[in-house]
Amino acid sequence: MESMFAKLERCAEQPLEYAGQWKRENGRKVVGLFPMNFPPEMVHAAGALPVLIQEDRAQITAGRTLLHEYYCGYTRSVVDQAATNKLDVFDELIAVDHCVALLGAVDAIWFQLQDRRPLQDQKKVFLAQYPASMDEATTFEEVRVKNNKVKEQLEILCGAPLTVEALSNSIRLYNQNRQLLRKVYGLRKAGHIKITPRQMQILVKSSMAMPIEEHTEILKTLVPLLEAQQPGNSDAIKLHLSGHMCHAPRPEIMELIEDCGAVIVNDDLFTGFRYISTDVPEEGDPFDALIQWYANRNENVPCCTRAQKGVEWADYLVDSVKDSGAQGVITLMAKFCEPHMLYFPELRKGLERHKVPQLRLETEHEGIPYESIRTRVESFIEMIRRGIQG
Amino acid sequence: MSTTDRLSTTRATLSNRLESTQKGGKMVKDYWDRLFSANERGAKVVWYNGSAVNPLFQAAGLEYCHSEAYAARMAALHEEGPAQRAGEEYGFINEVCSYARTALGCAVLSQESARRKQTTSTMTEEERKELEARDALASRLPLPDIFVNSYAGCSTGQQWDEISYRLFDKKLPFFKVSYPLIWGNNDDAEYLKGEEWEEASRFVVRQLHKLIEFLEVQSGRKFDWEGLREAMYYIKRAGELRLEAMELCRAKPAPAVYWDWIASIAPINFLPGNQELVDYFAAVKKEIEQRLADGTPAIPNEKYRLIFDGFMNWNRVGWLANKFAKYDVAVMAGRYTHSSFWNEPQLIDVDDPLMGIAQHYLLCPFNHHSKFLKYTIMKECRDYDADGIVFHATRTCRSSTNGQLVMAQIAKEAGLQTMSFDGDTSDEAFFKDAMFENRLEAMLEAIDAKRERIF
Repeated sequence: MESMFAKLERCAEQPLEYAGQWKRENGRKVVGLFPMNFPPEMVHAAGALPVLIQEDRAQITAGRTLLHEYYCGYTRSVVDQAATNKLDVFDELIAVDHCVALLGAVDAIWFQLQDRRPLQDQKKVFLAQYPASMDEATTFEEVRVKNNKVKEQLEILCGAPLTVEALSNSIRLYNQNRQLLRKVYGLRKAGHIKITPRQMQILVKSSMAMPIEEHTEILKTLVPLLEAQQPGNSDAIKLHLSGHMCHAPRPEIMELIEDCGAVIVNDDLFTGFRYISTDVPEEGDPFDALIQWYANRNENVPCCTRAQKGVEWADYLVDSVKDSGAQGVITLMAKFCEPHMLYFPELRKGLERHKVPQLRLETEHEGIPYESIRTRVESFIEMIRRGIQG
Repeated sequence: MSTTDRLSTTRATLSNRLESTQKGGKMVKDYWDRLFSANERGAKVVWYNGSAVNPLFQAAGLEYCHSEAYAARMAALHEEGPAQRAGEEYGFINEVCSYARTALGCAVLSQESARRKQTTSTMTEEERKELEARDALASRLPLPDIFVNSYAGCSTGQQWDEISYRLFDKKLPFFKVSYPLIWGNNDDAEYLKGEEWEEASRFVVRQLHKLIEFLEVQSGRKFDWEGLREAMYYIKRAGELRLEAMELCRAKPAPAVYWDWIASIAPINFLPGNQELVDYFAAVKKEIEQRLADGTPAIPNEKYRLIFDGFMNWNRVGWLANKFAKYDVAVMAGRYTHSSFWNEPQLIDVDDPLMGIAQHYLLCPFNHHSKFLKYTIMKECRDYDADGIVFHATRTCRSSTNGQLVMAQIAKEAGLQTMSFDGDTSDEAFFKDAMFENRLEAMLEAIDAKRERIF
């Protein structure tokens, strides 16, 4: 099991190196995707490797000349990766999401990788912006238009048509992978397995970069091994980890939380359950199915970056907490993540209404104050314990 | 201090500001004063954000409150404090868009005020007056009947109205218009040209038709298309006059500067399209023509010409205008004034106005890829013979800061001097006086040095 996790961890933590090696070995294209709603199935069906672009741990240097310091850590990091030529492994980069900070970052990346470079060194930075409002019929018509543009672009890049058959096959493969990952989530939630939050993150994060067939094969072997393990500490306070849109929280924070006497039983992190929550329908036209998927996933796990009158992240969170038996919620908020900051009072109110203890922790790209976080988490857990005793 | 007195303290005194813009100030004040009584008059009120959708509301017979404009007004009057505190108490962190924090704080206070009004019958006259004085502007907005969101370029603008909708318990009708960022994936993409531009324009037109259907349902009356054409006739004419007047300011020394155009934003942004609006911009143009004839400059000893990029720092309009004037700087133009607000009036076909309207919404200056920002800002620099660009790094507005550092690099390569200062649309806490002044002095010294080398 350790060797499998080690292989997945290498891919999760060094996706660019992994993608570079894959490219050299396979001689095929690699496409960088920005979070959160682009369906990687399209790139897979076109014959290229889709890789979700991650925050990396390097200090922001050259990127400071392209994006102000009051952008979230993810956007500053990806711009810095572009400015330091780390994104050169990609043959093309695609964004579809409407987040003002992300659009600013993608714009700066365009400047760095396309505008500044001689033609032969340019990387196409393609924007096919999906409307973020989920309440209007025009939204889904527009998503179809944008997906057609992406399809055309991928066909040009890969030099072959992106067929209905290939897309249907890719959808099946990705669904299978998501189902296996959700099985692990279910086992963790039920307390049937012991899996660390770092390991859980590795499972999801590696699926964002590794060829999906290979990832699924590893999961097929790994999941039974996880099931055979003894469950974890039953005295620990059960927590739900929420938030951190777009990029993965540092595993150190999640480990710190568990070190304080808690066990994370569920999450709605993007590099977590949010990413794998929803399958693409396998019936009917696969291009229609991708549009349906875009709609479905916000209903399954509502996101503060989407605008939808009828769904509430707070309600989802309350239901999720009831379902998992979590005794509290820790919100991980990336500093300067405006959608999250704006929606947070709704989350707070929703949890308060149902008397769910909660703690908000702000994370940054650099200089995370781990010891001060530890003190706050310890107090939070103590508060929950006293609440139970009292 | 009356509202008029407070506004006068924000006016610059070291430069010759246009007298005609004071009329605009009165028109805007009258507009808000009338709106404050909308609930009592039984008028239906739309709260909206983003693009200038007001001609559609005008034609639908609705009264309307542009939330950002109100936030800006409060900051300009230094009355933003109570609203921002209410927003903070509600849970918004100070890094959230300060327009949103201010407007959402107003929503909280307006609701409280409406609840209290129901109990004021038990108050003495003195108690009632004291309550009103404490509430000031922040709680005077009429409660909304409808929400319309129409925010180009900024996801926060859209999410902000999602929160407004929730603040009013999700009970009010709410319509959203979505806008793609004008990007330019294709080789044919140019400013106002190319397949993407055409497709985006058609997408917005389709949504505006849906919005009109929505407004018909909400207003309970058939949409007045002739009323829309009439409003657009006046708005188009006002837009043309504004551009003609701006063009006159290319003269050296400049007869009017950026701060005069800032003073004219509210009228062109949301005042009703009518003869009064046209008369206002005709008067502004006439005063500029007279100044040219008389040789009256806006800045007494104009020595430098700069372009201003970013949102306005509404708490500091007068302060900034004075500061630049003190250093003999004529701030000539900016993205917020010159690349905004019905700035391509030739696109408007008065007989069939929806396409031109849609295209102006897409033309929001914060809805552009750097490729187009490069085009517009460099054109402004050429048109106004600018020495450099001042970037307002608007702390809580990523929408207006997107692309700024890219533009700064492009400007430097073109031989222009640049500076960046920290501030915000309406949260004064992010402004640093001394830092601003140091940077401006350094920039002007660099311009002097460059001039000495050339000559």
